[in-house]
Amino acid sequence: MKTPSRAFGLLGAIILTIIFAPLIVAKPVPSKNAEVLEQLEVFAHVFSLVRENYVEDTEDATLIEDALNGALESLDPHSHYVAKKDFQEQQKSSRREYGGLGIEVTLENGLVKVNYANPDAPAARAGIKAGDYITAVEGEKVLGKTLDEAVEGMRGLAGDPITVTVLSVDQAARDITLTREVIQGRAVRHRMEDGMGYVFIETFNHPRLNIDFKTAVEELKAQAGGTLPGLIMDLRGNRGGLLDQSVHISGYFLDGGEVLSARGRKPEDTERYNAERGELFEGMPLVVLINSGSASAAEIVAGAIQDRGRGLILGRRSFGKGSVQSVIPLRNGGGALRLTTQRYFTPSGKSIQGRGIVPDVLIASRPDTGEIRERFREDSLRNALTNEDEADYQEDYDAIDYPPEDWPLTEDYQVKQAVTLLKSYKYKTLLADLNNGTTP
Amino acid sequence: MKYLLPALGTVAAVSLFVFSSQNQTAIAVERASHSETFQQLELFADVLARVRNDYVVTVDDSDLIEDAINGMLQSLDPHSSYVSPENFRDLQITTSGEYGGLGMEVTSEQGLVKVISPIDDTPAKRAGIKSGDYLSEIDGESIVGLTLTEAVDRMRGKPGEPITVTVLREGEEEPLEITMVREIIKRKVVKHEVKDGIGYLRISQFNEKTEDSLKTAVKALQKEMGNRIPGVVLDLRGNPGGLLDQSIKVSSVFLSGGEVVSTRGRNKQDTQRFNAEKGELLKNVPVVVLIDGAAASASEIVAGALQDRGRGLVLGMTSFGKGSVQTVIPLRGGRDGALRLTTERYYTPSGRSIQATGITPDIAISAIPESEVNKSARREADLPNAILNEIKDQDGSDDEEAIAEVIIDYPEEGFKVEDDYQLQKAIAILKNGSYAKLLASAAG
Repeated sequence: MKTPSRAFGLLGAIILTIIFAPLIVAKPVPSKNAEVLEQLEVFAHVFSLVRENYVEDTEDATLIEDALNGALESLDPHSHYVAKKDFQEQQKSSRREYGGLGIEVTLENGLVKVNYANPDAPAARAGIKAGDYITAVEGEKVLGKTLDEAVEGMRGLAGDPITVTVLSVDQAARDITLTREVIQGRAVRHRMEDGMGYVFIETFNHPRLNIDFKTAVEELKAQAGGTLPGLIMDLRGNRGGLLDQSVHISGYFLDGGEVLSARGRKPEDTERYNAERGELFEGMPLVVLINSGSASAAEIVAGAIQDRGRGLILGRRSFGKGSVQSVIPLRNGGGALRLTTQRYFTPSGKSIQGRGIVPDVLIASRPDTGEIRERFREDSLRNALTNEDEADYQEDYDAIDYPPEDWPLTEDYQVKQAVTLLKSYKYKTLLADLNNGTTP
Repeated sequence: MKYLLPALGTVAAVSLFVFSSQNQTAIAVERASHSETFQQLELFADVLARVRNDYVVTVDDSDLIEDAINGMLQSLDPHSSYVSPENFRDLQITTSGEYGGLGMEVTSEQGLVKVISPIDDTPAKRAGIKSGDYLSEIDGESIVGLTLTEAVDRMRGKPGEPITVTVLREGEEEPLEITMVREIIKRKVVKHEVKDGIGYLRISQFNEKTEDSLKTAVKALQKEMGNRIPGVVLDLRGNPGGLLDQSIKVSSVFLSGGEVVSTRGRNKQDTQRFNAEKGELLKNVPVVVLIDGAAASASEIVAGALQDRGRGLVLGMTSFGKGSVQTVIPLRGGRDGALRLTTERYYTPSGRSIQATGITPDIAISAIPESEVNKSARREADLPNAILNEIKDQDGSDDEEAIAEVIIDYPEEGFKVEDDYQLQKAIAILKNGSYAKLLASAAG
């Protein structure tokens, strides 16, 4: 099984309910030709020069590890080397229950930035919110560390306390002590929203997602008196997860046919993933909510629903992580390689990489303050894999429907607009227009 | 031959690199853990083969190797890096002084390149680049997250070639795109002037021309002042360093014989001592050395030697703290590029390492009023991965408290930077007769 993985490599380590499913590639190591040997010689030469001449003693394994990371991280932001001990721990973490804080982080300006705080987890309860920076873990500064090193200190067993130093935009740095928990979030959250069904999927990395989602929709149907006039699937902030879960969820709304294809460098490596036959929620009007935090598996679902004309996509352009990483164990216990091996494509053959899914209906969550309108996405990452399709993919900022300036913080404008859309005749005409425009 | 890498890379200030061929032979010795080492290299080869075969797009082997070497070297310390064959050729051009640049001193701040100052009569100055500007793109390509050396390399090029930089400036809402044409930046290495009856010598960098220029400048001063120089100010502020041997020669203008600096590699027996030449040009002339947080490496050697030997007063702010020596080791004569590797630390005559601590001035004087001091000015110790000062390391003592108690003399609010408070104070000390007493108390 492959993991389209999470948008930011390391998140799994903190969210902790993740089952890492490495792809074991059984291909033999290819033969090294003369040119490669020559390149290796250059490297071996440098390696020995450093060992002999550096001002301090060096450790062979560390030198090689840093070299591998230098090479792999220059490929793209999602490829890297997993050292032996980390790899062992990763394998362990699929069996053991680690305690986490319930935050998703990335590295920005040398600091750990919180991208998302799970509302049911210790971090959010202690007041840590998306946009905050973590400047130190247990008093140890994170500046100058890699993301791996920085989050290393955050991992631990449930019940253990941890102190992090948090810097918010509007507050001075402060120490917050938290107790690690096993984050056992619900797979979905659902409710009726003004006569329409609403289901929020936080991650595609939850063992109960398929069944919980199905149960949630059935419940909503019952609440609506047997027939649900419309469903809102909220994938905002959903950073992805397992590929097969995205295929499965898409399959509830599609009767067979392609959901996505994953393509490597060689044509024979192309893999197609199809929805199961038999559409569980046949004909149920569907609006999928996305934003710039929707990545990977979430983009697969949105892309399939959009390309197959099954529903309308509403919100903001998604993150744009359209690559698949394989975890390749190295021989002699040399750790593992996390390598980008494929890109994935929506059923119409569009690559998500670097550009994401552009909604059919552009709606913002907050009023337009005239400040920076661009969001942090895959294409903001230095070094990101490029998309070969050069067509314009930027959102038309002027076409975005912004909430009025006095829109209350507690009200969800995008959900409100989704409900309005489902209730009006516009849903059908818009969907029909799109289908006429896109299907030959 | 060794050079001291400028701690704050400069575009205009040419750092002259001298290449060693001796170092190439020093590698054949194998250590005991032969098989373990081999295993590590095999691991590396495996990964490379995997990437070649399975990566989502075709990758260039030599790019991959270059990135691997850089990954390895940059994790050692901030001054070790790989020099690609192309950049190695550029370095040799740099040695000759014939390369195109923009003419600004830059540093790195929060992943962005920040302009310290544009140099007069250069493309940067003429195009209106200002101190404090941040550069985010070069020719439309983001340089955010690049190392300073990489960014500087991109700014350099053939004279006559145009370049567009994207500038973020405080007070400007939109990034500015500024196009300039590279030209050969010639910078006077040593400037001299008679100021208020005192000789003023400013050294902007330590390259091959520094010694000659300094001697010429000193002779000119002697002529202008009728061989009666009551005192000189040696201004090393903002001087990022350069060649090690030049720092010895500059010190020799003030010292007759005796140690200037010693360098030590991994093995203690590798200690090398560098002595001043006999017969100093400025014998018995009182000296005040000006330093600041941007005075680094070779500048710190000179300041440290004059301070330790009681030859002059050091005035200003604590220096940068770059106490390591890099050696450029060409690979296959430069065809495979070169290695810029930290091989030694250096020590002042009294045995102090300045690594990460810098030279503390005898008299602490700030150039700007206290309210304007940017507390986060970058020093060596703030660089990710910087080598620690092992002397401080060993005895576990921490000088921070002592440093905090140093009383800094700040100019009054509203004092103009152009009026140079530090220089005014230096001249005053040389003129008002307090020099000898201050020198004695600094030594005591």
